[in-house]
Amino acid sequence: MNPLPLSSQLKQLLPRGRILDSPAQLAGYAADALGYKSYLPDAVVIPADADELVGFMKGARQLGVPVILRGAGTSLSGGPVAAQGGVVVHTSGLKRIREINVEGFWCEVECGVALNDLDAALKPHGVFYPPDPSSGPVCTLGGNVASNAGGAHCFRYGVTSNYVLGVEVVLLDGSVQRFGGPAGGRGPWREDWKRFMIGSEGTLGAFTRFWLRLLPLPEKVWTLRATYPDLRSIEAAIHALVAHSSYPAAIEMLDPRGVAMVETSQMAVGLPKGSFMLLLEIDGPPALVDARVGPVADLLRHAGSNDVVLSDQDAMRQKLWKARKAAGGLLGQLSPDYVVQDAVIPKSALADVLQLVYDEADAAGIRAVNVFHAGDGNLHPNFLFDSRVPGELEKVELISERLMRRVIEVGGTLSGEHGIGNDKSAYMPLVFGPDSMRLQWAVPAAFNPTHQLNPLKVFQNRRFAT
Amino acid sequence: MHPKTPLPDYFSNCTHCGFCLAVCPTYKLTGDENNSPRGRLRLWSEEAAGRLPQDKWTDFYTDECVGCLACETACPAQVPYGELFEHTRHDHVSAGRSKPPLALRLAAAAVARPAWFNLALLPARFIRSLGLSIHRFLFKGRPALLQSTAAYARELMQQHRPTGPRVAFLTGCLMEAAFREINFATVRVLIENNVQVVIPEDQTCCGAFQEHSGLAGAEPLRAQNRRAFLPLDVDAVVSNSSGCGYSLGKSLAPERPVRDVLAFLGELGPVRRERAGSRARLYVDLPCHLVHGQKAAGIPQNVLDATGYSWELAPNARDCCGSGGVYNIQKPENARAILAGKSAFLNEAEGAPVILGTSNHVCMMQWHSAGATGLVTRPYEVSHIIQLLDPGAGFAVRATAPASAPC
Ligand SMILES: Cc1cc2nc3c(=O)[nH]c(=O)nc-3n(C[C@H](O)[C@H](O)[C@H](O)COP(=O)(O)OP(=O)(O)OC[C@H]3O[C@@H](n4cnc5c(N)ncnc54)[C@H](O)[C@@H]3O)c2cc1C
Ligand code: SF4
Ligand code: SF4
Repeated sequence: MNPLPLSSQLKQLLPRGRILDSPAQLAGYAADALGYKSYLPDAVVIPADADELVGFMKGARQLGVPVILRGAGTSLSGGPVAAQGGVVVHTSGLKRIREINVEGFWCEVECGVALNDLDAALKPHGVFYPPDPSSGPVCTLGGNVASNAGGAHCFRYGVTSNYVLGVEVVLLDGSVQRFGGPAGGRGPWREDWKRFMIGSEGTLGAFTRFWLRLLPLPEKVWTLRATYPDLRSIEAAIHALVAHSSYPAAIEMLDPRGVAMVETSQMAVGLPKGSFMLLLEIDGPPALVDARVGPVADLLRHAGSNDVVLSDQDAMRQKLWKARKAAGGLLGQLSPDYVVQDAVIPKSALADVLQLVYDEADAAGIRAVNVFHAGDGNLHPNFLFDSRVPGELEKVELISERLMRRVIEVGGTLSGEHGIGNDKSAYMPLVFGPDSMRLQWAVPAAFNPTHQLNPLKVFQNRRFAT
Repeated sequence: MHPKTPLPDYFSNCTHCGFCLAVCPTYKLTGDENNSPRGRLRLWSEEAAGRLPQDKWTDFYTDECVGCLACETACPAQVPYGELFEHTRHDHVSAGRSKPPLALRLAAAAVARPAWFNLALLPARFIRSLGLSIHRFLFKGRPALLQSTAAYARELMQQHRPTGPRVAFLTGCLMEAAFREINFATVRVLIENNVQVVIPEDQTCCGAFQEHSGLAGAEPLRAQNRRAFLPLDVDAVVSNSSGCGYSLGKSLAPERPVRDVLAFLGELGPVRRERAGSRARLYVDLPCHLVHGQKAAGIPQNVLDATGYSWELAPNARDCCGSGGVYNIQKPENARAILAGKSAFLNEAEGAPVILGTSNHVCMMQWHSAGATGLVTRPYEVSHIIQLLDPGAGFAVRATAPASAPC
């Protein structure tokens, strides 16, 4: 073990980057988007660039403390927090888009690039990167890859893992590994090891850069929204849409409390009070989508909506999506804190599980707001509470556990996109039996045998032992 | 120790979503979470809750904030960041945790007495009236030396007798003392558009100076402006500086909204200047206190069209230029780094001449400094949009009166 104090060791590892270690510098890094859960790190480092991150990782083993990677800190599962203390590595200095290869439909980006910055850079080239988590203005590709982020348009386009061609990662043994590259993404696992990296939640290594697959921008988009009086009719609409040959790019749902939240905010779009809203999009060649939009609107009406609005105008599209994507933030106008679950369920159980959410929350006197990726069955019940009121968090945790048990009964799973972090690790044994857990454990044990990287995440007792 | 005023409860609105990080100039510059809105809010609330002792780093990160309020626009939870920031800054200054530079403390004392301030800046007006620029912030212009805007407006009102809506005009402190030609142009443009201009002589500085620097003394100024403006029988109160307008708006709320003069003119549809054959190009930058403070959509398109120039928004027009009220004096290095990013396009911009137009004199000072300090190496002009609508001395009131008085 190195006898020097931590800050001196860090200075040796990061001659150009920044080292933060006074209490007020650590406070900003104590939480992710679950702001009420606080874990002070011992230090924070901000490497100046990719080379410095590599240099830091090469010497990090000697530090003898946990190492936690952090992108923009928008995780909703306690991913980038120092649950066992240690050094948080903030990747904000690695924000170069290194190459956009339009002919090859790929790009090479550093891990700290913000998702929407990449979108803006790609747009003039007529290409796009489909995964679109609602945190796009700020979340980083490093965080996206580490949590295998999803988003509204992932219903048709698929999640982050479908678009990662290659990952460069530094392991704690100091080796820089490159899994895949511009031509990656196929073959037996020897060729496609990067799949271990995607969704690894900072437990295997530090990503420095990625090669990402791009698609041509759709020529035309129709955005539709329909409102429904009750859960059963909106559920019928979702089933009909999923089975329809138009295959929408996105199928999103807001429940009446979500609708009320939007309508009383600066994002109001004129939705009827008390309604359930469905927001969807079809995209493709103009002739095709123009032919399809009528039947889709009919389908929405047939399922029970007498309020279907459709538009092919970009301004309307932006407005509707802005309201949908700001929903997580809008919750702040209702309540100081919230917990959001991320379970995925078979769509046949949608109405049943949502009813359970309402019943349990009402019985406990907790408000629940549902805004989620309905096409994928990826629920996001938000339970609102005030962490300053004793007992409220415990109530929410109890409801969450009951919900998870029901999710598993209907054949669902724990997390669709937010990751496990330390917020959902307690539910892991509910979903996975001991044999499955043993196999899963073998992966961090191979790449990060001492569990120095992001300990106490994913598995409750995965602890770094010096 | 200085008794701290408790922070308002709506602090807890922040859901930590991080949307504000994407727009924050100091976060973009440093990549340090503590130097972001979400980070600052966390430091203040942790300290208020007694979980974080007073720390020089909290003071440092508070001082780093430009006060551009871009984070308010980005925030879905509507956290009133500006109010919390002002509150905290004020507390830090009165407790000695933060000390504004001497120049600012002197200026804050001076602006509270407009007559002295006008006199003190007579040399600056004189030098500018010679067409010289001796300081990086002093953009070119020809202000009147002695005649006040109020006197000038009285004179033109007598001469032209407009019959349209009546407005009360905030002449400002620095604007009046150093950049008076912009006020004169504003009076001409308003009267040409058949607007009656009233200038309450007992008005004073809007208090923005104190708000930005955290110094005491804003309250008496606000009270005096309420006395000066609220009793007036006018259709609107207008300002030609988005920062001062935003600040006066807070003082006169809720009784009387303060309108940006360009927005007011937009509703009238101002007289158009003809510049046939001009090869000039106008790049429009939007002041933070217009779009993020007053929450205006921008400068009305018909107003920009009426300048007669071909125009476009400057790149990242909604992002801060680094001036931030008094930020370019408090944190000159950061302000310059922010400006470097914003102004780089001018080196390549098309147009002969290239004009950078905005609607706040403090932003004009900052934009001027880009050339004066070598960030921009080709010639360009800095102008207030109202100056580009200016008919000059020999004008006539427009023939057709507007249909109704907007307010
Ligand atoms: C309002 C809001 C809306 C959201 N909507 C969605 C949504 O629609 N879909 C969705 O999937 N998620 C969503 N999220 C969750 C979150 O934004 C995503 O998980 C996102 O991918 C996190 O990115 P980040 O840069 O903030 O990463 P962080 O939160 O900083 O970190 C997330 C995880 O990634 C790891 N990590 C970060 N960088 C690296 C790296 N370079 N190398 C290795 N590991 C790394 C961290 O250790 C951590 O485990 C939302 C969050 C908010 C606040
Ligand atoms: S006011 Fe501007 S500089 Fe200050 S926190 Fe908000 S965005 Fe950042
Ligand atoms: S955008 Fe608003 S709610 Fe989100 S972190 Fe910033 S201040 Fe908090």
